[in-house]
Amino acid sequence: MAKKQFMLLASLLLVLSVFLAACTGKDNKAGDKEPAKDPGKTENTDTDDGEEEEVEDPNAGLDFPLTVTNTGTPIDGGELNYALVSDTPFEGTLSPVFYSGSPDNTVMSFFNESLFAYDGDFLITNDGAATYEISDDNKTITITIRDGVKWHDGEPVKASDLLYSYQLLGHPDYTGTRYTFMISNVDGMPAYHNGETTEISGITVSDDDKTISITYTEATPSLKSGIWANATPRHHVGDVMTGEVTMEQIVSSDKIRTNPIGFGPFKVSKIVPGESVLYVRNDDYWRGKPQLDSVVLKVVSSASILEALKKGDIDIASIPVDQYLNAKEVDNIELLAQVDLAYTYIGFKLGKWDADKKESITDPNAKMGNKLVRQAMWYAMDNETIGKELYHGLRFPGTTLIVPVFASFHDSSIPTPSYDPEKAKALLDEAGYVDVDGDGFRENDKGEKFELNFASMSGGETAEPIAQFYIQNWADVGIKVQLLEGRLHEFNSFYDRVEADDPDIDIYQGAWGVGSDPNPSGLYGRTAAFNYTRYTSEKNDELLAAISGEKSLDTDYRAGKFKEWQELMVDEVPVAPTVFRYYLMAVNKRVTNYSIESGTDLRLWKWGVTE
Amino acid sequence: MLKFILRRTLIMIPQLILLSLVIFVLAKAMPGDAVTGAFMGNPDATPEQIEKIREKFGLNDPWYVQYGRWIGKAVKGDFGQSYTHQQPVTTLIAGRVENTVLLSLFTAIMIYLIAIPLGIVAGRWTDSWADKLIVTYNYVAFATPLFVFALLMLFIFAFLLGWFPYGGSVDIRIESGTWDYVVSRAKHLFLPVMSAAIIGTVGTIQYLRNDIIDQKNKDYVKTARSKGVPEGRVYTRHILRNSLLPIAAFLGYEITGLISGSVFIETIFSYQGLGQLFIQSIGLRDFTVVTALVLISGTAVVVGTMLSDIILSIVDPRIRIE
Repeated sequence: MAKKQFMLLASLLLVLSVFLAACTGKDNKAGDKEPAKDPGKTENTDTDDGEEEEVEDPNAGLDFPLTVTNTGTPIDGGELNYALVSDTPFEGTLSPVFYSGSPDNTVMSFFNESLFAYDGDFLITNDGAATYEISDDNKTITITIRDGVKWHDGEPVKASDLLYSYQLLGHPDYTGTRYTFMISNVDGMPAYHNGETTEISGITVSDDDKTISITYTEATPSLKSGIWANATPRHHVGDVMTGEVTMEQIVSSDKIRTNPIGFGPFKVSKIVPGESVLYVRNDDYWRGKPQLDSVVLKVVSSASILEALKKGDIDIASIPVDQYLNAKEVDNIELLAQVDLAYTYIGFKLGKWDADKKESITDPNAKMGNKLVRQAMWYAMDNETIGKELYHGLRFPGTTLIVPVFASFHDSSIPTPSYDPEKAKALLDEAGYVDVDGDGFRENDKGEKFELNFASMSGGETAEPIAQFYIQNWADVGIKVQLLEGRLHEFNSFYDRVEADDPDIDIYQGAWGVGSDPNPSGLYGRTAAFNYTRYTSEKNDELLAAISGEKSLDTDYRAGKFKEWQELMVDEVPVAPTVFRYYLMAVNKRVTNYSIESGTDLRLWKWGVTE
Repeated sequence: MLKFILRRTLIMIPQLILLSLVIFVLAKAMPGDAVTGAFMGNPDATPEQIEKIREKFGLNDPWYVQYGRWIGKAVKGDFGQSYTHQQPVTTLIAGRVENTVLLSLFTAIMIYLIAIPLGIVAGRWTDSWADKLIVTYNYVAFATPLFVFALLMLFIFAFLLGWFPYGGSVDIRIESGTWDYVVSRAKHLFLPVMSAAIIGTVGTIQYLRNDIIDQKNKDYVKTARSKGVPEGRVYTRHILRNSLLPIAAFLGYEITGLISGSVFIETIFSYQGLGQLFIQSIGLRDFTVVTALVLISGTAVVVGTMLSDIILSIVDPRIRIE
């Protein structure tokens, strides 16, 4: 009897494991229509299968469209289902001033919009709900709100509503994350922020409440990309300035949590907190009547997203990288991809943060101080293989520190190191790092042991293989690298130690999301706390100052300085960019007029469905 | 009896104080805080600004000062502000409690509905085909991880057959307060509840089966049989009365589960409850939420244990402490 039971048990378990594979799709061979017929397949054979058609030249990127190919005429009305692919609910702080997680930003994007429209370089244009003019001294921007721009409750959007956002952001009681440089740079903002006055002297609103002008202490090119242009409906949420409500009351009030308003193409009709949102068409939208009748947004776990797309329940969703191969096999969707505003990099620790001076101090005698060694380590990394094997081509070798999305500022003509172990060895020889004691690893130029501690973050299945792969790459050219304390480190403690310049860390692997302003000062400036490598130089200071300076309002001048800066960083290599990444969107074939291109004219209000 | 309850309640107080202290110190010992998490990778933030916010939330004070402030408010039911959610923790938790309690309550009911009859059948007719089937089911359920089984249920019933929704707690298009709304909620609850219940029956079935088998050969059962009590009555009147005792006592522990929620089930079915909130808050270092949740479930354990003891002492006078 015991034996029989065991057989039954074993066969049941086998069935279970097949289904499990079908649900998560990890073992799924690309090209198989029926999932998990052959659970014995390994990951390696998977990737080999699709490789040829996927990427020839990874730098050219994958041949994905940015815009859906369905050009049919959309039906009148219709409902679109949008998935927020996440294993956690959205927080539901639906105010641009107060929200913290990016899921909330997605939820807001349907009903709320910025007063400005942006072009492909993320610079403001005059196509938005407001137009702007910049004064001759480049310090004042005058913003005029178009007629007919109305909040969802019918009230016109006023200039003082934009002022209200500034009043909230700068308020002494404000504890959110958005009191940033472009806010504190407003004339009189620091005094207001410290509670010395209740007026922000740099902001004036016209008598008809249509025009607002904002004067800055410093003229910077961020005026064209980093200006805060999200209005807050004062009449709706209540006025902190008159004491009608307190900051805390606003943040926790239903006015921004379950009943928020904006002036975007859709109105929030209903919210099930953290879970789903129903939007209906805003007939008074200032650009015109939106095409769709309604939009349903719901949180879908990454375990079910592909099946939900296949079923036709979801029209638009982002696809986690590890589900890409399976997503390719779904018939009723189209995949769009765009290079993300982010890069992964290897950082070389070159100094310390001086907490008193609040600046980075580069140590000329740092272990990683020789730039030839840093260059060699860049040459030694085979990022192309990482991108192909572990990310199926959705990541590709990084080049400069300005991501390619910034078409006018990214310079692809700069020669950057790509995988070349011989070149790496030559550079190390040149630097005098040779193997003296014959153990297969190089010693430094003084003949001392040269062993590096590599800090890398845990998380995801690929973290460990990637770290080990790089260690092997470096060993191939004779550099001995080991994982810091022999293991990966959890996100928070990793950054805690990198930030504190832990002397045990020589190199580390990190990633930056760069935001829509390409200015690298916040990440590489002398006084930037996030300059984790602690690299500084006169030339770097000068170029960053030029990039942030007034003259850079001229895009050509700025592009020139960006080019010089990118060249400097490729030569000095305080960090070596490893991979750029794509993000993937799956779109049902019935969707039309949808694009993920930055600065596209196919805005939300034009999205439609053809059946 | 009153004395017994009173004594148990008094013992609870030092237990809870110790619990809160441990939770708080451990949370503080973890690297990072909610402010680091929120500002991480935001190149626009200045260290001064971050420092200012830390100061405002009192994160720079020594831990015992912070603990004193926290516990002082916590006894009044104020667990502070969640930084990630920008909302008082109590409001935040209150918003999720309904989902979690509904899920856990129905799961508990389902567990008993499935487990008690199965346990009785298996125990009464030992080694019959029914018993073998039940035992097999029990082993498989015991060996199957919850998340595997939940995914399987999701795949079959939500995607292959399409009978039930694959996530969420309710269809947003349906007006709340109507009959359809209740039906929609029930449909959304079905898969998560069944997934958790079918796996969750293991302990109860096994316990009940073994206990019935044990009781069968006890002297009092033999006596009853020899006096001519019909076999059915032997089970319903004599054996079950004794065998169900410990099961009833477990009820107190079940209350613990009612409050802490299930991370796996909630994540797989995108069902918003306290379990998800807990995991998310740990990831984001939103410690006010984490400490509040641990304290609440810790309290639930302590209270649940006490309830179990009380129930047990009511149904079984032998163990009553005097």
